[in-house]
Amino acid sequence: MNLGVIDTSATSGSSWLHRLSPRTKLVAFALILAAVVTTWNILIVATLVVLVSAAVLSARLRGRLAFGLAAYPGLFALIFAFASAPDVMTGAVIVLKAVTAALAAVTVVLTTPYPQVFAPVQRIVPTVVGDALLMTYRATFLLLEKFSNLLRSMRLRAGIAGVHPVHSARTTTRALGGLLLYSFDLSQRDYDIMRLRGYAGRLQAELPRSASPAIDAAVIAFAVLLLGVSVLWRVAWQTLNPFSWLPLAGASVVLIVSLVARWRTS
Amino acid sequence: MSHLHIPDGVLPLWLWASGWVAALAIVYLAGKFSERADVRRKVPLLAVVSALMLIAMSSEIVPIAYHINLTIVGGVLLGPALSVIAAFIAEVVLAMLGHGGVTVLGLNTLIIATEMVVGGALFRLVVRLIGRRHVGWSAAVTTVLTLALTTTMMVGIVAIGGGAAAASRQHGALDPSTLKFENPFKAGVFSSGLFRGGEGGATAPSGAGSSSSSSSGTPASQTLSIRRFAIVVYTLGPIGWIIEALVTAGILGYVARVRPSLIWEGALAVAEHRIPDHETGLHP
Repeated sequence: MNLGVIDTSATSGSSWLHRLSPRTKLVAFALILAAVVTTWNILIVATLVVLVSAAVLSARLRGRLAFGLAAYPGLFALIFAFASAPDVMTGAVIVLKAVTAALAAVTVVLTTPYPQVFAPVQRIVPTVVGDALLMTYRATFLLLEKFSNLLRSMRLRAGIAGVHPVHSARTTTRALGGLLLYSFDLSQRDYDIMRLRGYAGRLQAELPRSASPAIDAAVIAFAVLLLGVSVLWRVAWQTLNPFSWLPLAGASVVLIVSLVARWRTS
Repeated sequence: MSHLHIPDGVLPLWLWASGWVAALAIVYLAGKFSERADVRRKVPLLAVVSALMLIAMSSEIVPIAYHINLTIVGGVLLGPALSVIAAFIAEVVLAMLGHGGVTVLGLNTLIIATEMVVGGALFRLVVRLIGRRHVGWSAAVTTVLTLALTTTMMVGIVAIGGGAAAASRQHGALDPSTLKFENPFKAGVFSSGLFRGGEGGATAPSGAGSSSSSSSGTPASQTLSIRRFAIVVYTLGPIGWIIEALVTAGILGYVARVRPSLIWEGALAVAEHRIPDHETGLHP
């Protein structure tokens, strides 16, 4: 997990997705998730994934990072589908649903700084939960860097070598043990700092207002439309199933336009 | 190893919504309980343990698609109340990174919290039985037993929710055998399972598999195969249990040698470094 790249993308980007209000992105994500949950029509799920992909491409996010992160749950979904799906079609829908939901989540994370993603959660859970949630991100950064340095130094001192897998595994486990001890020292230091700064419970995470409310409203409206399509195809299947290709065709046009726009501006 | 890598929308709404309600309830209770004393110490501690679990869970062991959890380590060090919160935090962050699904987050929190709470308690029980000198063995035995329990929980959840669900869920999808879209919702909108995830009630379309119907009228060939799922999980799972057991035994064994108080007294019992009053901003 390359948290540094994710964080850079979330904080340094300036695309239209970055400029949306975090609330808008979270609501749109919830609506798209609801659409994914509702439908079992493979072409409707494909429509959703194509549209989210178009958003990723038009915002000029790192394609390899976004699609790579979204593919990871697809791998586990593939195992689940292989283990339980009654036929290939159901298995394909299961995998596609996993990738679509993950891509939508990853798009939010890649365009929104971490504190803003979790600020709404922090406000509704007990103080200790919300504050620990916000501090986890910082701790993850520090521990990842420490662990990577630890592994590098072990490799340099021949503690980890491909020809000695058992020795390497033992060394890596000890490195994890060392990381654990370091993490407790880190938490002690954080505790001292929090005492010094007069922390009395409840960190403040600001949710910025939208730069362009009209675009926010349009994004929410489009997400509602997608949920509507998903519900409609589930409810009025008798009439609409033969036309399931229509939303996908429309989404494909949007994807092509995004690709062309990305290519022309690069 | 044992949390649900089930995509959003596969389990029925009533099941994952119940998971959310139950998870939020226990996280709320654990949060309120933890807030009774020394929140300032607990917040950074929770953050680092959640971060450790997060790093472990998001680091896939390529190419076998396993990852370690470090849940037993967390359970031993944090105790039950903080373990529940750490499980929730790790799952929330993982879900937003696309790992695990948002709808199953509640169920995943319950499974991971069970793993941590049961793992912590079982570790102390096993240590009492075989002695403090065998921390590594205690950790390994605890990990295997706990992961077997939570894996069974996972199979149970899929069995409760997934057994009959696929039949009507796949309605509306393209039929690969005829390349036509079936129209199977003859029983109406509500019995099509829109709000129930499709389980039960709906009559499946005629076609392959209809001769071998289950008691609910759902063709057996069109339901999620719980038996096959259980076989795959119980075949692949033990490899993961052993990997996790080795890592947990290595880590807890190391910590028991280097800083035993962390294990026997808990992470919150670390000797407090007193800060002089003038540094805290307090004046007599």
